[in-house]
Amino acid sequence: MGFGFALGVFGGLILAHAAYATIQYRGMLKIVEEEFSGPPMNVVVELLLGLALCMWAGLAAPTKFLSILPDSDENRIVSLPTNLDFMIFNHRGRVFPSSDAELKLKSKS
Amino acid sequence: MAANEDSRSSDRKSADDSDDLPIFNAENLQSNMKSIYYSRTFLSIIGGVVAGIWGFTGLTGFVFYFLIMAVASLGLAAKAKFSVHTYFDSWNRILVDGVLGGLMSFVLFWTFAYDIVHIF
Repeated sequence: MGFGFALGVFGGLILAHAAYATIQYRGMLKIVEEEFSGPPMNVVVELLLGLALCMWAGLAAPTKFLSILPDSDENRIVSLPTNLDFMIFNHRGRVFPSSDAELKLKSKS
Repeated sequence: MAANEDSRSSDRKSADDSDDLPIFNAENLQSNMKSIYYSRTFLSIIGGVVAGIWGFTGLTGFVFYFLIMAVASLGLAAKAKFSVHTYFDSWNRILVDGVLGGLMSFVLFWTFAYDIVHIF
């Protein structure tokens, strides 16, 4: 975030300098009485550089994309309940002789 | 009988699956779209300034705008690591959304920069 923002500011400064250089170039053209037929080479390079920097900044500076799939790694809830130590899985049922196998054995004998 | 019932229920289940809308995390989808909107607005403003300084007039400027938006779409797809369906529900969100919305800011800043640099 900070890096992208700094790139954007730098790109903006480069664009401002390109604008200033173009204004000066036009002033020079006015003195030598020639027609404007496109910005000079250094301005073009500055424009492309500023555009590239600002494009990088514009793509990188906003928030990162977040996954929208409900079962992706970031959206999954994996925390166990915190009171696991207090859960009891014993109950009184185990004192009764209730399995089917035993009943069958008894009926056979 | 039981098997018959089972097959019917499985049929119904598969029909449900095909009818079911895919489930998205709407909050994250909205955040992603907002991120795209910010990127496009910023890039249309910057593109307008560049087009103005460069001295584009007429159709060339619009061609330049759509060129920038195409590059922006490519960049956004790269930001989504080209697995668009992880982050958006369709390709249109990346490729098309907000292209015409930024045109007005582009024209505004284009004329603004052109006036400052070339006319005044």
